Amino acid sequence: MTERDFSATAAKVEPEARKLIAQYPEGCERSALLPILHAFQNVEGWVSPEAIDRTAAWVGVPRSVVESTASFYTLFHRRPVGRYMLQPCRNLSCIINGAGEIMAHFRERLGVGHNQTTQDGLFSYEEAECLAACDRAPCMQVNLQFYYDLTKEKIDAMLQAMRDGTFEVAPLPQSAVPGLDWHVAVEAERRSPGAQGVPDPFDPGGLGDRSGVLMIERLARDPEPIIARPTHERLIADGAALIAKPQRNGETH
Amino acid sequence: MPVVKVLTDGIGEANLRDLDVYRKRGGYLQWKRAVTELTPAAVLDVTTKSGLRGRGGAGFPTGRKWSFLPNNGRPRYMVCNCDEAEPGTFKDHMLLEETPHQVLEGMLIGTYAIGSKHAFIYIRGEFERGYHIFMEALAQARAAGLVGSGLFGTDVAIEVTVHRGAGAYICGEETALLNSLEGRRGEPRLKPPFPAVKGLYGEPTVVNNVETLATLPHLLRNGPEWFAKVGPEKSPGYKIVSVSGHVKKPGNFEVPLGTPLRELLELAGGPRDGRKIVAIQPGGGSSACLFEEHLDLPYDFDTMAQNGTMLGSGAVVFFDDSTNFVEAALALVRFYAHESCGQCTPCREGGHWLEITLERILHGGGLASDIDLLIAVSHQLTGINLCPLGDSIEPFLASVVKRFEAQFRAYVSAPEAAGVIA
Repeated sequence: MTERDFSATAAKVEPEARKLIAQYPEGCERSALLPILHAFQNVEGWVSPEAIDRTAAWVGVPRSVVESTASFYTLFHRRPVGRYMLQPCRNLSCIINGAGEIMAHFRERLGVGHNQTTQDGLFSYEEAECLAACDRAPCMQVNLQFYYDLTKEKIDAMLQAMRDGTFEVAPLPQSAVPGLDWHVAVEAERRSPGAQGVPDPFDPGGLGDRSGVLMIERLARDPEPIIARPTHERLIADGAALIAKPQRNGETH
Repeated sequence: MPVVKVLTDGIGEANLRDLDVYRKRGGYLQWKRAVTELTPAAVLDVTTKSGLRGRGGAGFPTGRKWSFLPNNGRPRYMVCNCDEAEPGTFKDHMLLEETPHQVLEGMLIGTYAIGSKHAFIYIRGEFERGYHIFMEALAQARAAGLVGSGLFGTDVAIEVTVHRGAGAYICGEETALLNSLEGRRGEPRLKPPFPAVKGLYGEPTVVNNVETLATLPHLLRNGPEWFAKVGPEKSPGYKIVSVSGHVKKPGNFEVPLGTPLRELLELAGGPRDGRKIVAIQPGGGSSACLFEEHLDLPYDFDTMAQNGTMLGSGAVVFFDDSTNFVEAALALVRFYAHESCGQCTPCREGGHWLEITLERILHGGGLASDIDLLIAVSHQLTGINLCPLGDSIEPFLASVVKRFEAQFRAYVSAPEAAGVIA
């Protein structure tokens, strides 16, 4: 982490933080933890280590407690993200109304996957869970503003307007250059060490096929390389990300 | 058509976000009446007599929930649960954005009824627009002397705090919500003690859903009998039902409980042309599916429970014969795997196993034994977790695997031929 001047940001957030703390009963300052992190993210575009430090000091808990708490909540970006946070819904009512195609279109147009940011730092992309707008499926949020009844054409128009700087939703503030990934590879990481038979990204055949025998049989049946299939592609990509820790301008992506 | 306008009255016609508009339609009159004419016990009595059951998912009688608060002289808290995230549910989202004053009035009445001086509303982080709308409504109400101290010239004082969540489905579970409100990870607590005894900051607390609280002004206005006489005896009143999926006009429909599912389908414009409904998920992502033979069942808490499912939050998803149930099951299983807080091993690991297994099946890498594995794992992870999240995986998954087994098997035996059931 390079040193940067945080005092302006802190000065901007502090009066709001004091007000937020005052909303809770005396001795319950910690309740303002989430609201203060929101306030920092509104200013900086993400929850920076410095924001964690200040929050810890203001609500009177160790910084590890703020870290631990912040990491629980998906809306807090622990790494810088792009100007537009694109979050199509991938849950039930959207999936049965074509969200799969919408997500595939986003991935193709943006050239990035789930929890990733484009090279130019303009777009971050995350497939989100039910956004409570199932009557207008498929739906999404752009910087937390709702967009409904999505079609490929609507998405293309939306992305173009964002590129042209004419989109109606204000871009997220930028206080640091976003990296390619803005989350750790959660799915690959959270598997319990030593769990028996749990498929891992390095196991080509997946569940029940640690030796890869079934995969070879499948490949023999189907000449199309198995890695072309989305599941395996994702598992392998996650695995690669873990090993390679891709850099912004690296060749891994 | 049985559609009614109680909580949804005026939505789409008037700007109910404006305090004056809301007041002209009778808004806050019941709040004033409660403070100036009724004792908290009287409000509790009306609520109990109405038979109102919680609208968030569990369907617990609201009056009874309030009556569990101990008289120990400690501060007590009212928490309005607006962390709506149950797949298929979008009624609280609408109430918050379209009629925030009704939500606030209901919160105030509920807070008064339980003898609390401090109400909180926990708003889902994604509802940023709703948060700002509610903040504006609260500011208007505060300026008009409807919130704060010395209300209507009495010594009644109620403070309201708005708290934003930050993206965690589990915070809709009441004890996880309380942890989140205290600035902690949103991990459910072991019960007992229940929040009524030891809730927010360790004090007696009631957590009520948005729709439950928004119903209170109407109960005071019309009397408990008005509500109790509608619908089945043990499941009375009006309910906003969120209808989505394969229907022509999805949306929120306010109906008397006990309305047949088929009428809900008709209200939502019916099935798409040339299609027929083959399955219905009647109570949000955590409920088991019903099928076409169940379309004439009345939609109420007890009938749904008797048929092995639940009314839940009142989210009805219709599936027609074009549905890929492997894909649908994956969407829900992935959701629960993603939203597991990780405290309990069965939920944390089991959800993830099921997700991987379904992905394999969907993408042509499944084994014949995977179908049985889905049933076995989802059953084994049920009933042994701190909270209902882990238990929410089995109902939908098991019900569609059993009913549409051929579709799942087709993916395993001949992935290239697998498609729709029609």
